[in-house]
Amino acid sequence: MSFFSVKGLSKHFGGLVANNSIDLDVEKGEIRGVIGPNGAGKTTFFNVVSGFYTPTSGTVEFKGKVISGLHSSKIAKLGAVRTFQRAALFPEFTVLENVIIARHLNADTSLLNAIFRHNTKAEAGNLARSKEIIEFLGLKDEQDNLALNLSHGHQRVLGVAMALATEPELLMLDEPVAGMNSSEKAVMVGLIKKIRDTWGITVLLVEHDMKTVMSLCDKITVLDFGEKLAEGLPEEIINNDKVIEAYLGADDIVA
Amino acid sequence: MGFETFVQTFANALVLGSIYAMVAVGLALAFGVMQMANFSHGELFMAGAYVVYVLYSLVGLPFLVAVVAAFPIVALIGMLFERVLFRPTRGNVLSGFMATAGAGFIMQVLVGQQWGVGLMRSVVVPYKGSAEILGAAISWQRLVIIPATIIMVGGLWFFLKKVKAGKGLRACAQDPEAAVLQGISLNKMTSLAMLLSGGFAGVSGALMAPIIPVTPYMGHVYGVTAFIVVIVGGMASIEGAVLAAFILGFIHTFISTVYDSVTATMVGVLFMAIVLVVKPTGLLGNVKV
Amino acid sequence: MSKSNSSSFIWLPVVIVIGLFCFAPQVVSAYRLELLTIFLINVILAQSYRLMTTTGDWTLCHYILMGVGAYATGILAKKFGVPFYAAMPLAAVITVGVSLILALPLSRTIGFAFFIASFALGEFIRHVWLKFHTPFGGARGVNGIPKLEIGQQGDWYFIDFWDSTNFYFFTLIFTVLALLVLYRIDRSRVGNAWKSIYADSELCESIGINVTRYRVLIFCVAGFFAGIAGSLLAYQVGSIDPHNFEMVEMVYLIIWVVVGGVKTYWGPLIGVFSMSLVFELARPLQEWRPLLFGLILILFLVFMPGGLETLLPRIKSFFLGLVGKKEVR
Ligand SMILES: Nc1ncnc2c1ncn2[C@@H]1O[C@H](COP(=O)(O)OP(=O)(O)OP(=O)(O)O)[C@@H](O)[C@H]1O
Ligand SMILES: [Mg+2]
Repeated sequence: MSFFSVKGLSKHFGGLVANNSIDLDVEKGEIRGVIGPNGAGKTTFFNVVSGFYTPTSGTVEFKGKVISGLHSSKIAKLGAVRTFQRAALFPEFTVLENVIIARHLNADTSLLNAIFRHNTKAEAGNLARSKEIIEFLGLKDEQDNLALNLSHGHQRVLGVAMALATEPELLMLDEPVAGMNSSEKAVMVGLIKKIRDTWGITVLLVEHDMKTVMSLCDKITVLDFGEKLAEGLPEEIINNDKVIEAYLGADDIVA
Repeated sequence: MGFETFVQTFANALVLGSIYAMVAVGLALAFGVMQMANFSHGELFMAGAYVVYVLYSLVGLPFLVAVVAAFPIVALIGMLFERVLFRPTRGNVLSGFMATAGAGFIMQVLVGQQWGVGLMRSVVVPYKGSAEILGAAISWQRLVIIPATIIMVGGLWFFLKKVKAGKGLRACAQDPEAAVLQGISLNKMTSLAMLLSGGFAGVSGALMAPIIPVTPYMGHVYGVTAFIVVIVGGMASIEGAVLAAFILGFIHTFISTVYDSVTATMVGVLFMAIVLVVKPTGLLGNVKV
Repeated sequence: MSKSNSSSFIWLPVVIVIGLFCFAPQVVSAYRLELLTIFLINVILAQSYRLMTTTGDWTLCHYILMGVGAYATGILAKKFGVPFYAAMPLAAVITVGVSLILALPLSRTIGFAFFIASFALGEFIRHVWLKFHTPFGGARGVNGIPKLEIGQQGDWYFIDFWDSTNFYFFTLIFTVLALLVLYRIDRSRVGNAWKSIYADSELCESIGINVTRYRVLIFCVAGFFAGIAGSLLAYQVGSIDPHNFEMVEMVYLIIWVVVGGVKTYWGPLIGVFSMSLVFELARPLQEWRPLLFGLILILFLVFMPGGLETLLPRIKSFFLGLVGKKEVR
């Protein structure tokens, strides 16, 4: 029984088959890359497994429990949390406030607490943990800045910080280094490694950037036209004829 | 319900559905093109009724002339709305909607101060007598609304499908950015949309002037109904608006006849709530707003 | 960050304002005092409406919810002789129940459709009042709602509510309490969750906030306070009918919050205060008054879309300058 297991997952938009019968198994503590050309169906795959879309067919299991069809907030609660391809954040809150808001699942969210603040201890814990996460990801200097004023690189890191604040067991990152310059990319790659190595969080990431994927992932799954094209160790993938063909003409593979 | 009553009610439902359709298509069209909604659409309807009151009852022009004149006059008010209310608030549907609520207040006061507040002014019925259909008597004044609607809505359909400016409107409704890239002027199109929207509301009000009491507040009910129609049909869908108009026309007429008008309104709203739950985009719509 | 500085800066005016309201009965006429009572009720209404808007869900049925509270109170007090200390909480609970039912279809929609659908459902409720003579009294409504009673003539704790001053203070207590609770909620984790939903509902889902549940919740909380406001209104005016809760009233509520702004807690308070003042000053205009308010609404939406509250930072730095403090952040 795998930690995270997808069986025969399909998603259709009307006539368009965005995901076609995808199988995928991820072991605990693994960093798994999902790659594929533009429009291959990677984001759709994330949207389905994280509960944002309901699958047309197939099942998703997480820690032995079927999660496909569940509400997205429920899946997050179970410990499978995703980030977005865009820089998603609450622009008019500070970095620290953003992370504290993301501690929702670990907080007392009752109205009584809202009015009487009886649970200050839990909130103190949330504050401490938020600061810890921010420090861990190297955002300490930005802590009191409004999220909208951050650089793009820092905004993406904040996205990861918010996902981590939910205390996930499986972190799903949608193109975490998209739009970053090379030094920002290097930082992000280091962070993802650190997240797995220090906290033991399993990572599933979608990425275009081959170099990032090769240096980061234990295993890689290739999607093309919504189907699984290949799966294997990075060396196997880079030498796979079908993969080279799919990427032919795209410069991603050498980038 | 006897057969005669049934025929009578059926004909009344057709008439009411026609009026609803004429009022609502303007709202749907404007929403489709501008992504903005006019809270005071009912006040444009009221303005049309007052055009008839002034030109026909006071000045003494023929009824038909007054009805035809209602189109350009109220269309101008519609364009004014677009220019001073919708354009500055473009992109924020709530702001535009509330701004038109303010405009509705203003129109009600101006009309009330000019021609009397809350006084019922009855407009003398120009087409007296009634037609005998399958044993039921339906007044000509009401019956004439059906062909008028067919002409107006048919004309709109022709305009949107065959005339260049109409095609431009449809292009804007589908994808404003792409339309602009094709060299269509968005401002011209929103202006045109509100012109048509006003004109249609105006003519409907004009046609109803001899049938219902003409007061500064008469538009409210029709404005509300138009919104319900448009939500049921699908916010930006003209076909949906026509379909929903007749459904609402039948619901309102039959339930008013069997029970009372308050119940009829309630069932209409309930119907809308059910549509929202089952199909939030409306019967023929595909955009969720 | 000198948080204590800026918050003491806020609390000083608050204490002064409450003091002024306590002092008001000494100086104003009985008629004016009744207007002030209504004003206090409107403050609750406006502030609870602002709460509703924090998720971005503007409604057009808030006035109707107030009506639900008023009708519930009126019927309980008149037909069943329920004393106020039971009638008011019951009315609030009933309003929450109605809000919950309305929220079910409404939460299927967002933005403009939500706005319009809320209006239609509100009208549905108003028509229920019109249609059913028992218990709502049809178009005539509920009349002769008994006054509040605390004690009997002769009891040491007897309070005579035929004296409008006493009811004024009764309302003042509720207003202050409601404002306090709404303030706490606004600053709380739940309040921030609502604001986050407005900013990015997808992101909220991804971090485990059940957006639908929170949208329903906010509707119920706002409904609760609208119900309390309605309850107070029923006791104040003594008779209510469906015309008290027409669309026009809702538009005035919208004018208050548009003029004041909804982004900060203070916006609606500024709005309801300034517009109530204008409303009274414009009394001589008679029938022309709606025109004035229509104009005000349009001018604010077009030229000052954030409302008067956008002036607050400037006023604040002005006062901070007076007392010689540098502004923080
Ligand atoms: N909500 C939707 N409705 C209809 N079609 C969609 C929807 N979401 C995605 N698609 C289509 O599904 C296909 C896969 O899109 P997806 O976003 O999953 O690709 P991707 O692999 O993430 O691409 P990219 O690398 O550009 O992010 C595309 O053809 C896209 O147009
Ligand atoms: Mg993608």
